[in-house]
Amino acid sequence: MRPWSLLLVLLVALPLVVGVVNLPPHDAPDAPIHTGVGVRYLERGVEETGYKNLVTAVLLNYRGFDTFFEVVVIFTALVSVLALPRGSAAGPGGAQAPAGAEPNGAPGVPVSPVVSYVVRLMAPFMAMFALAMVYRGHVTPGGGFQAAAVFAAIFIAIGLVLGRARAARLVPVDWRPWLQGAAPLAFAAVAWVGWRLTGAFLGFPTDDHAAQEAMGLVLEFAIALGGGVILARLFLEMET
Amino acid sequence: MSDVFDAVMLTLLIATAVSVARARDLLAAVVIFSLYSLTMTLVWQHRGAPDVAMTEAAVGAGVTTVLFFITIARTTRREKP
Repeated sequence: MRPWSLLLVLLVALPLVVGVVNLPPHDAPDAPIHTGVGVRYLERGVEETGYKNLVTAVLLNYRGFDTFFEVVVIFTALVSVLALPRGSAAGPGGAQAPAGAEPNGAPGVPVSPVVSYVVRLMAPFMAMFALAMVYRGHVTPGGGFQAAAVFAAIFIAIGLVLGRARAARLVPVDWRPWLQGAAPLAFAAVAWVGWRLTGAFLGFPTDDHAAQEAMGLVLEFAIALGGGVILARLFLEMET
Repeated sequence: MSDVFDAVMLTLLIATAVSVARARDLLAAVVIFSLYSLTMTLVWQHRGAPDVAMTEAAVGAGVTTVLFFITIARTTRREKP
């Protein structure tokens, strides 16, 4: 078996190495990446979108259609996990925890007061940081997806340390389906608004920076909240 | 200086990748894998891609690691020989 594995590795590695060796140097001005559509983004991006962070400009504006279906993919991932039948015992060591058991580590072991205090102390600052990332995403690095991960981290930390009931109270039951679908729904809504304004599906009015910024903010907030809730739900769903 | 940084980081990446593949203790593998993501974060930042660096740190080193931890808790910690 071993010689064959080695042969397989070489077969995969050789084209990869040849490809990497033939890549243009990192800062070559005539590399394809610097002569293609990127030039237009760099030259006209700020003026056309009003976003000073060109990553956001590309993500939400020029390539908004891609991002639309990216959030649909994340939503579909959650739907798939929720659709899985819940087994009673998933293999060795995977027995269900008894009802009412503490979610953290070994049952019966109390949470360290230091850990619990730090989580309580940090949670509001993490939330502030996530909100700042959303709000400043069109100027500085950051944005909806990164903020979603931070929001999810807050949910998960609270769920692990202060108990699932405390984490569950953060997201009211009635809102959950809407929050989980927030990103695709917001994209659909913004796409419709863009269609009314410009005549193109998910079109952004190039001459109206205020409208563009508002549409971008709606998308970023929806991605942050929806993504965060989805990530946290994936975690809690796997944990139980 | 920049080349030295790149060389160190890329060596670390290869070392962590090989260690992940070789580790028999899956918990150790996950911890090393999160180190891989953190190294990758530094490489992205150094390459001038702070947006990608943030995503790598939050998703690669953070959420993925936690999900792997749960998977280990629900299955088994040792790889079958």
